[in-house]
Amino acid sequence: MSLVARYLERNGIPTVTMGAAKDIVEWAGVPRFLFSDFPLGNSAGKPHEPDTQRFTLDLALKVLESAVGPRTTVQSPLRWTDDGDWKQDYNNLARMPPEEVAKRRAEFDKVKQVARDQRQKAGVA
Amino acid sequence: MTEFDSSRRIFVSYIDKSREYYLALGYDNPYRWAHYVDAPFTPLKKPLKESTLVLITTAAPYQPDKGDQGPGAAYNAAAKFYSVYSGDTAVDHDTRISHIGYDRKHTTAKDSNTWFPLPLMREFAGQGRFKLAKRFHGAPTNRSQRVSLETDAPEILARCRQDQVDAALLVPT
Repeated sequence: MSLVARYLERNGIPTVTMGAAKDIVEWAGVPRFLFSDFPLGNSAGKPHEPDTQRFTLDLALKVLESAVGPRTTVQSPLRWTDDGDWKQDYNNLARMPPEEVAKRRAEFDKVKQVARDQRQKAGVA
Repeated sequence: MTEFDSSRRIFVSYIDKSREYYLALGYDNPYRWAHYVDAPFTPLKKPLKESTLVLITTAAPYQPDKGDQGPGAAYNAAAKFYSVYSGDTAVDHDTRISHIGYDRKHTTAKDSNTWFPLPLMREFAGQGRFKLAKRFHGAPTNRSQRVSLETDAPEILARCRQDQVDAALLVPT
C-alpha cells in the first residue's frame, strides 16, 4: 500500500496513509503518515468507539494539510490500553504452548499452498 | 511492569517479529519488505475543503463463496483479490480483512469502521471538510511488489484521474 501512496504522490496526487505498522510503512517511505499505536486492523480508530475514529480521521486530514515535506510521521496520542501489554503478543511463540506452535506450522503450510494456487490462477505467479 | 519496560513502551517492529516468527516455524526465506531511502512529495494544490479526496483500502469485498471471512476468521488467503476494484461511495459496502495478517488476538474485526472509514468520510464531506470522490478503490495485497508497482498502482492512478481526484487517503490493514 505504501507503494501505491508513493506512486500517486509522484504523479501529482498528495496522499496521507493511516496505519498501525510503523516500521513497515516507514521502511517503505511514504509522503505523510498518521501512525496509531494499535494492534493491526485498527488503522482508522478503535472498534465501536466512533469518537476515536472521528479523532483519527480528523488528525489524518490535518497531516495531509500541514506536512511540510516527505516522510512526515505524526503519532496519534490515543492508546490502545494503558499498559501496552498487547505489544508482547504479536507472533510471539514464547507466549504460545507447543501444540499451538505445531498447529500454526501446519496452517501456514496450507495457507501458502492456497496463495500459490490463487496467484497461478490469477496469472501473477 | 515498571515504567522503564521499554518493550511495552515502544511500537512493535513487525518486520523483525515476522522474520523471527517464520524462522522459528522453519522458514528461512523471509519476506523482503519494500524499502526506499527517499519519498516523493506533492503539496495540496488547493484548500482541502475544495479538494476531492479518495479512499484507498486493502480491505476485500465480502465474497460469500470464499469461506469464513470473519469477524474473527482465521487467515483466509482464498479471500484475497488480485485486481483493483472500485465501489460507489454513495452507498455502504461490506468489506472484510480476513485475507490480511491483522492482529487476531487483540482485534475481532467486528467494526469495519476501524479499517474502512467510508461512512465517516461521507459524514466529514457532508460537513464540508472535503469533497468525497465518487468511487473508492481496493488495492490488492498479493505480496508481489512488481505487480503493485507495474499493474495495480497505475490502475489506481488512472481511476483517480477519471474521477478528478485531488488527494488520497490510504488505509492499509
